[in-house]
Amino acid sequence: MLVLGIETSCDETAAALVADGRTVLSNIIANQLDLHRKYGGVVPEIAARRHTELIGYVINEALDAGGKSLSDVQAVAVTAKQGLVGSLLVGVAAAKTLSYALRVPLVGVHHIEGHIFANLLSNPEIPLPHVCLTVSGGHTLLVYVRDHCRYEKLGGTVDDAAGEAFDKIAKFLGLGFPGGPAIDRLATKGNRKAFAFPRPLLKAKSFYFSFSGLKTAIINAFKHQLAGGEKLPFEDIAASFQEAVVEVLVAKTLRAARESGVSAISVTGGVSANRRLREVFTDTGDRESIKVYFPALSLCTDNAAMIAAAGHARLRRGYADDLSLDVIPNVPLEVQHAG
Amino acid sequence: MLVLGIDTSGYANAIGVVDGERVLADFAFQTRNESLARIMLNIDSVLGENNLGLEDIGGFGVGLGPGSWTGIRIGVTVGKMLAYCTGKPVKGISTLEALAFCARDCQRLICAIVDAGARETIYAALYRSGHNGIHQVSDYYVGDLPGLAELVKEPITLVATDAQKYLSVLGQLLKSDAVEALETAPGGAVVALLAATRLESGENDDTLALAPLYLKESTARAFINKYKRRAQAVP
Repeated sequence: MLVLGIETSCDETAAALVADGRTVLSNIIANQLDLHRKYGGVVPEIAARRHTELIGYVINEALDAGGKSLSDVQAVAVTAKQGLVGSLLVGVAAAKTLSYALRVPLVGVHHIEGHIFANLLSNPEIPLPHVCLTVSGGHTLLVYVRDHCRYEKLGGTVDDAAGEAFDKIAKFLGLGFPGGPAIDRLATKGNRKAFAFPRPLLKAKSFYFSFSGLKTAIINAFKHQLAGGEKLPFEDIAASFQEAVVEVLVAKTLRAARESGVSAISVTGGVSANRRLREVFTDTGDRESIKVYFPALSLCTDNAAMIAAAGHARLRRGYADDLSLDVIPNVPLEVQHAG
Repeated sequence: MLVLGIDTSGYANAIGVVDGERVLADFAFQTRNESLARIMLNIDSVLGENNLGLEDIGGFGVGLGPGSWTGIRIGVTVGKMLAYCTGKPVKGISTLEALAFCARDCQRLICAIVDAGARETIYAALYRSGHNGIHQVSDYYVGDLPGLAELVKEPITLVATDAQKYLSVLGQLLKSDAVEALETAPGGAVVALLAATRLESGENDDTLALAPLYLKESTARAFINKYKRRAQAVP
């Protein structure tokens, strides 16, 4: 089955063609970073306007790049849950129109479910059940994946998302937006043990994370030097901050896997592209005989191939939506499989 | 040519079908917060009640706004994708022009007004009726009613969804007999009529490029620009 995926939940306008939930024929992503950079974050109204301008071109490009025409499309999958309401709405309006005009099934997908499937697209061999950590600029969520489309939440963040902490520290250090890649680069030249930043909730029994206090601790520790024009050891700060975040994410996810009795961990989302996170996860996993999987780099950040793959799985389980599909900006992943 | 018209810039999903100059259907589905949820079902029901299928439609008219920013994006995206999927042409119509068109039989200067939401701001434009339909005779205006009143030097027919609200204020600002009001909402059939005329003369828009007529920048961008201007003003 050829599924056209559409994703517009934040600031990427994306469309993709995926065959049988496995083969990515095209994966087009129009990035809006240049529009949002000067604001230090995503501006919802600007994002929604850009999606409206781009959506047709991106869908057309996905078909062209995949060597297919509209009449080849057998279903349309779209991110309808979790994201900026004005942004989600553009993708859903386009998807509904395609479904209506082409007379093909429509399926709404939860954005996080898309990320879970990004890793399954890259690594179809990931065994079930497994534990999945989704870490991005907007999300930090730990779930037990019992089966495709069946999730149980284990934990999440109580304040900032992990990627949000990267963005805020990068902004503080003047590294620009988005902060993840900038900190990753800078950290390779720094000493991870230069500063002993807090490891929030590391010892807590729950699987919840908190990154807001870590961010504040770092800002408070250096803001006077920064204001006084002192030259700060940026590389060491970046490396030590990244180490604190990575240590907490890895320790809690590994413990969740042990306690759930699974032998595989899937790490997805934009932060899963972070090199140090991959390194520590893989090394720690190896020591405990738990295999850790990461998506291809092209599928870490928001994309529509993962939405098409998730949509395909949902359709196979009979979770199709009708033309009254609406957007839900904020809804837990685990309650959505009821369709 | 059968043309389907859509305007979602106001409080309703306005959907109409025309055959050239003849109106076949004109519905305004009150939506509140369900414009997106209802839009395809509304279009399907309007077509179905007229025993039409999407394949019978020869072109599409889309109300571009100004109006509710979120609302317009729904209509524009749906209209654009309908045209893309069917390979039929599309024409975007200013919602102000569609309102003014409803007063095309008036001899007075026509002033179309749309509420801009914040701080008593309005979107407006002036039109004049001629032998070839109506013609826009002013730039688009974004501002308050007193500012609009200064632009108007003669008796007008005011067209708006909540015309009575503007009538009393404008009546005081101008001489009271200088203003008459026509209360009407953005309509699907009107958008379709205006689009049909243009599509029949080959004036279609670039389908994939179809974009809303916001008339105002986003608040964040306006904020940054204000600071830029201030920074430039400081020597």
